[in-house]
Amino acid sequence: MQTVAFSILLLPLFSAFITLIFLRRFGNIASLLSVATSGGILVFALYLIFNDAGEVYSWQATWMKMAGWELGFGFLIDGPARLLLFVVSFVGFLIHVFSLGYMADDDAKARYFGGLSIFMFSMIGITLADNLIMIFVFWELVGFSSYLLIAHYLTTEDAASASRKAFIVNRIGDFGFLIGIVLTYWAFGTVNLLELADLVDFDPSLVTTFLGLLLACGFIGKSAQFPLHVWLPDAMAGPTPVSALIHAATMVAAGIFLLVRIDFMFTEQVLSLLAILGAGMGLYAGFCALVQRDIKKILAYSTLSQLGYMAAAFGLGMPGLALFHLMTHAFFKALMFLGSGSVIHACHHEQDIFKYGGLRKNMPVTALTFLVGVFAISGVNFLSGYFSKDAILLSAYNLNMPIFVILYSGAILTALYMFRLYFITFEGIARSSEASRARENGALMTGPLIILAILAIFGGYHSLFPFSIVESIIPDIESVASMPNHLWMVFLGTFAWIVGVIVAKNFYGRVRETDPLSEKLPTFFELCKSKLFFDEIYSFYVSRIQDPFTRFLEVMELLFISGLMVRGTAGVAGLFALLGKVCYIGKIHAYTFWFVAGTIGFLAYAVGIFGN
Amino acid sequence: MTFDQILLLGSIVIPALASLFLFAGLGRSEFIAKNLAYLGFGFPFIAGILLFIRFDGSAGGYCFEIFHPRMGLQELKITFHLGLNGVSSPLFAMAGVVGLAAGLTAIRSGTERLSLYLALLLFMQSGLMGLFASVDLFFYYLFHEFALIPTFIMIGLWGGRDRRSVALEITIYLTLGALLSLGGLVALNVMVDAEKFDFPSLSVALASADMLESTQFKIFGLLLLGFGVLVALFPFHTWAAKGYETAPTSVSMLHAGVLKKFGLYGLIQIAAPLLPDGALAWSPYLLWLALGNVLFVGFVTLAQTNLKSMVGYGSVMHMGYCFLGLGVCSSLGAGSAVMLMVAHGLSVALMFLLSNYIYKRSGTFEMNEMGGLATKAPILACFFVAASLATIGLPGFGNFWGEFGVFLSLGENPDHRVFLILAALGIIISAIFGLRAIAKIFFGKSSDELNEHAKEKSIIDLCPGEILPAGIILSALLLIGLWPRGISDRIDIEIGNRYEKVNFVALSQFTPACCLPGGEVENKENNQSSPNLLKKAAQFDANLDH
Repeated sequence: MQTVAFSILLLPLFSAFITLIFLRRFGNIASLLSVATSGGILVFALYLIFNDAGEVYSWQATWMKMAGWELGFGFLIDGPARLLLFVVSFVGFLIHVFSLGYMADDDAKARYFGGLSIFMFSMIGITLADNLIMIFVFWELVGFSSYLLIAHYLTTEDAASASRKAFIVNRIGDFGFLIGIVLTYWAFGTVNLLELADLVDFDPSLVTTFLGLLLACGFIGKSAQFPLHVWLPDAMAGPTPVSALIHAATMVAAGIFLLVRIDFMFTEQVLSLLAILGAGMGLYAGFCALVQRDIKKILAYSTLSQLGYMAAAFGLGMPGLALFHLMTHAFFKALMFLGSGSVIHACHHEQDIFKYGGLRKNMPVTALTFLVGVFAISGVNFLSGYFSKDAILLSAYNLNMPIFVILYSGAILTALYMFRLYFITFEGIARSSEASRARENGALMTGPLIILAILAIFGGYHSLFPFSIVESIIPDIESVASMPNHLWMVFLGTFAWIVGVIVAKNFYGRVRETDPLSEKLPTFFELCKSKLFFDEIYSFYVSRIQDPFTRFLEVMELLFISGLMVRGTAGVAGLFALLGKVCYIGKIHAYTFWFVAGTIGFLAYAVGIFGN
Repeated sequence: MTFDQILLLGSIVIPALASLFLFAGLGRSEFIAKNLAYLGFGFPFIAGILLFIRFDGSAGGYCFEIFHPRMGLQELKITFHLGLNGVSSPLFAMAGVVGLAAGLTAIRSGTERLSLYLALLLFMQSGLMGLFASVDLFFYYLFHEFALIPTFIMIGLWGGRDRRSVALEITIYLTLGALLSLGGLVALNVMVDAEKFDFPSLSVALASADMLESTQFKIFGLLLLGFGVLVALFPFHTWAAKGYETAPTSVSMLHAGVLKKFGLYGLIQIAAPLLPDGALAWSPYLLWLALGNVLFVGFVTLAQTNLKSMVGYGSVMHMGYCFLGLGVCSSLGAGSAVMLMVAHGLSVALMFLLSNYIYKRSGTFEMNEMGGLATKAPILACFFVAASLATIGLPGFGNFWGEFGVFLSLGENPDHRVFLILAALGIIISAIFGLRAIAKIFFGKSSDELNEHAKEKSIIDLCPGEILPAGIILSALLLIGLWPRGISDRIDIEIGNRYEKVNFVALSQFTPACCLPGGEVENKENNQSSPNLLKKAAQFDANLDH
């Protein structure tokens, strides 16, 4: 078992090393190696999932030891880990295959696929890690691989600044997470997840709100939640498959996974805060998505909003539902991102949806699979998103009405902006020469789309999956199933997406080059477009507060430390030197005078005139 | 003499001899000069690695000892005594690695009066190896001076802008620091009636006769101030960035990477375990000053636009973490500080080396005048990204373990937690300047200045001769990052031994939650069901017993 776990972890690392050292100039071989690696990961992962299913497997070795602090390198393979491992390896494999087609003409294929391998390594590390410090190690490493891949088109200014922003904002989250881990260690004497769970089980009073908030910082950074959400839309500067894999299906979802892994560490207060933050993000990101023109940005805001749903589910005390939605979201969001990639590839890297139009006729497979994704995310009955999202909505309805109202408005909004995206892109007439000449992509790209579309349809029937994958979500699903108001919820859910479709059809059915909303409701449009000025506030902080402050300190250092202290000391020494120099005037009678004065002084001291 | 002892002595003598031959005029032929330099830098490298592998630290204490009581001044208790222990062995190996990289760079540098340059650098290398191999404190100091003096000459002769005034400033500053620390060492020698002037004898002598706390306070203060100046402790740090900016690359590498560790090595290995009360009394001041390194210098680093001065300030900033580890006064803090010293030495040397490579291609250190180098020199970009991320503490590279250990040690005592929170801000600050440098130099489009420069001299990627030294250092960083126990185990044992007798109050103040009286009852039930927790609880008791 541990051999399999080790191979699954080290295989991609090994592949990345080979690529880095030998295959930099051989992009095609590197891409095949990387795809083969991800295939290998999938095989090993399936073996790991089916082998002694339903049991908790843990294994540990000492990674580092210092003065009583012992850090383990270990694996904890339980229900949530199996689920995420399945998502990462399966969706990861499909996206690797898609990348073969999407990146076929890229000059830096080796760097891209090497980066993907590093990402797979780090992500699997998070999945399998059995203690917080090890999670933190891989946590930072996924941040690094995300940085690397966002910066893929490194000659563009966008990529350069977006990659930096992603890493730094993540580091701000990690700052709190790091302090949280340190304080957890000193409060509990361990960071091992199983031991922590045991300790909390015996003495729930050990858990404090402060500690929970610090640990949740990691989630807020990685899953791009308020107020650290600004990096995710910018991260779309990376290649589209990367957005699908890292910034939709897996890495950003790792934040939710972390929460689930340490769900015993949160007090009621932290949970309510997470629920409010999550629900708020669900709505806020929906409004932002409504006015974007860039197809990837729309999907990015939609990801933010869906992550908000997961956080809300977790905050309501339903971690299983959060994981369930994580899984279905991974399917349909990866599907839509890859669909957008297919469109972008066919339209020569045009990303403005108002320059598309009528693509359904030219790209039937992409359009159809994309529509499946849109149905799924909008919660159309009996598709995957319907089960996971409406389960969250139902539990909110029964547990916390205000949260439900926010989430439900978000659900209507989701259907609205998603169908807006679909109608503008795929229906109507082509609004640019790129769009009119677009052709459907080859099987390497449509194949993954079809498989993901099938999952987006059937992924919500948890009984179709092997028990070892869905083990961790079943209890919460059962508890939702026993809640009242089912029929009412079915009605509300159906109502939400039907409203979305009708409004979107009427509003965006026949668009031209401009957004109809900007003409009909200009104030509202501008407000959504401003995204509540977060980027402006942060850049104001950097350029008006931080930068002047650093320059001020630099001047202070120059003035006081270099100048006053160092030069000052040198000046005092120099002053003495000047005084001393006065004595040496180069005239013999002066020296005679000093000599006589000195002799008299010495004699006076010798006879004791100055006392003892 | 055994093979190991020959290696140990050879790593000091061979560079010194090579240097003397060059001084004597053998280096007039460039061929001989270069080969002597290869020998003089290669031997310490091989010896360092071999001795690192052959070191048996399971029992603690010194290995490969060479002891000659006649050499030295017996009246002053000074004896010639070499050897490596768990703390010095990784630093000794690190000195060998960085030395080789710096030497290879110097040999290829093609500077004027190459033979004199190499002679001075070899002399420095000999001093550096000797410094970490000395058991006797006098020789420890002496070797440091051997290494320090060539620095001044080399900055003065081969330095960049303002080399004269910078050389003068750095000379006065560092000589003053060295003098103060010498004063502290002399005070130790005089105040402690030990048989020999080395750590084991001093600690035995101190154990029998307790030193007054006020005396400890004074001596530790003297050592802290002296060593602090040498390690660029805030606010005595202004020489560092300026000096490194001006110094030739190999000198910056050796000084910032290796020589600067002298002071911390002295404080952690000698001063704190010998003078625990002094260390504890100074601890609050030291922690604030170290925080100055992390935050004040960190923010100043953010303002730098010159690559080399950014690297210089950055290195000063990260030394703050080492001081924090020391200031915590626990074996966890001290051990982590040593881990960080090793990794920091490697990463800083690598950063200076890569800055030089960048300078060779762009003709400037101004980051605003670069851009888009990644497409022209992808291997260089790859190295620089790796080195920058190592510097800012990305896991997978050595620096992470040291930094994390220091943060962990800061969390132990509730009084120190404010330092934990403030110091952890450093991970954001260093990410900002590290990534800004990458973006400005390598990403985006190349600037007009760079295009202008590229017209005269086309920009090419690293050649194998340039990859070799950078590759050696980077592999060492990766090895430590992936397998920290390779160095942490021996550091742990030695630091554990040295700090075992030290009764730092800081430790006894702290009681983990599960050992509190209230929690104990539950803990007992707990223990029956889970042997793991029993082990943990026992570990905590052991911690408390310290």
